[in-house]
Amino acid sequence: MAIAVFFVAAAIAVLGGIGVITFHQPIRSVLSLVLVMLALSVIFLLLSAQFVFAVQIIVYAGAVMVLFLFVITLLGPARELGRGRLRYQGWLSAVFVLVLLGLMWTMLQGVQYRQPDKADLNFFGTVQAIAVGLFTTYLYPFELTSILLLVAAIGAIYLSRKHIDEL
Amino acid sequence: MSQIYNDPIGHWVVVVVAMALLLFVVLTATAYTVWFERVALGRIQRRPGPNRVGPFGLMQLAADGVKLAFKESFIPEKTDRIIYVLAPTIGVAAAFMAWAVIPIGLWGNAVYWIADVNVGILVIFAVSSLNVYAIVLGGYASNNKYSLLGGLRSAAQLISYEMALGLALVPTFMIAGSLRLRDIAAYTVSWGPYHGPIPLIILTPIGFLIYLISATAETNRTPFDLPEAEQELIGGFLTEYSGLKFTMYYLAEYLNVITVSTLAVLLFFGAWYLGPVPPVIAFLVKVVLVIFLYIWLRGTFPRLRYDMLMRLGWKVLLPLALANVIVTAIVLVAVS
Repeated sequence: MAIAVFFVAAAIAVLGGIGVITFHQPIRSVLSLVLVMLALSVIFLLLSAQFVFAVQIIVYAGAVMVLFLFVITLLGPARELGRGRLRYQGWLSAVFVLVLLGLMWTMLQGVQYRQPDKADLNFFGTVQAIAVGLFTTYLYPFELTSILLLVAAIGAIYLSRKHIDEL
Repeated sequence: MSQIYNDPIGHWVVVVVAMALLLFVVLTATAYTVWFERVALGRIQRRPGPNRVGPFGLMQLAADGVKLAFKESFIPEKTDRIIYVLAPTIGVAAAFMAWAVIPIGLWGNAVYWIADVNVGILVIFAVSSLNVYAIVLGGYASNNKYSLLGGLRSAAQLISYEMALGLALVPTFMIAGSLRLRDIAAYTVSWGPYHGPIPLIILTPIGFLIYLISATAETNRTPFDLPEAEQELIGGFLTEYSGLKFTMYYLAEYLNVITVSTLAVLLFFGAWYLGPVPPVIAFLVKVVLVIFLYIWLRGTFPRLRYDMLMRLGWKVLLPLALANVIVTAIVLVAVS
């Protein structure tokens, strides 16, 4: 049962990924990316990471992608331009795909399907478990990441302000 | 009951039956919420409201439903037809999915639920955050300036108030010590001689106030109905929708009103506990009272201006919600 759900979710994620790069209307690309996010959240749920499942939808599908959508709807239903292809683009992309597939193949050697260790499913992946991890073992990386995000946010605000002043 | 739940096939049977029942109950409840609102708004405005079809106008919604179903289903030209049709569907689906994790006390100690998730409230936030797609995509696919502006206003509004809404509920979780809706509903205290469930609004009144305001904004209702402000934007994102697609938007909106009212009852008003009253009746009465509160708000408040809406969300509600979290944390540590 779980394995069937996994394959359906994985197929949706891959199809959504293909949709992101093949659609010509930006809005369809965004919706494909939303589909990828939702499929990934289902995979998190299969790993009994219920908290990550909910956060994945709230943050990525509910906030980040809505901002993408916001910008695209504001710009209007423009079709993607960019007909200018690079020289040898087809050959280059084929080579890159081969290299990437080879890399993935070597990395996935020895990886097997397994169920998550059913140590205690009531605890695994819940808010308490994640909170304990974040505030004990991974406290410094967690706090440093939040400082990084703060710096990025302040930087974004500063850059956009400067733009207004020039106008 | 728990034996049936633990049996794999029995579990599926229970879940399928519960979902079918839920669909029926929730759809009926939505129809009568619309009727209730129209009558209540009518009385607030000193007019009778719907009273022609059936006794007390109770069949008005059936008549309206038939009328809407037979209306011409119109699709604007030069638009993305798939997205135009998809948008209202997303709205209804998101509104229904929240009901997968809402528990309801039935009789004695029997409690109904479909999925007992340990992050129940976060699942509700997750699916309700998908609601914004219905409005933005509807506004975009209508190929109409007013619809687009309505959709964009809504996106900004929903993102702004989601933060305050989430933070308003954090003290409730901290007090109850769980995100599972059933645990929060069953939160009990032992104060002197009294031992039993209490409405959590006693402990976090500010949390409820912020929740009430943000939830009104999240459901796009007056005084926060800027996405469909009819004087400025005709019908906002709804302008180009008619027939059953319009009905779906309408259904989703009222379903969301019922959902936020039910959540308010679960989180702040002691769920289905009310002395000796049977749980399901106590629950229904409380939910209807909270829905009436929302209708009352709609009937008596004027619409906010857009800059006031943003200022209220970011400069008043968000800091207040954060302060509420910090104060609750300090008090909890001091008490324990």
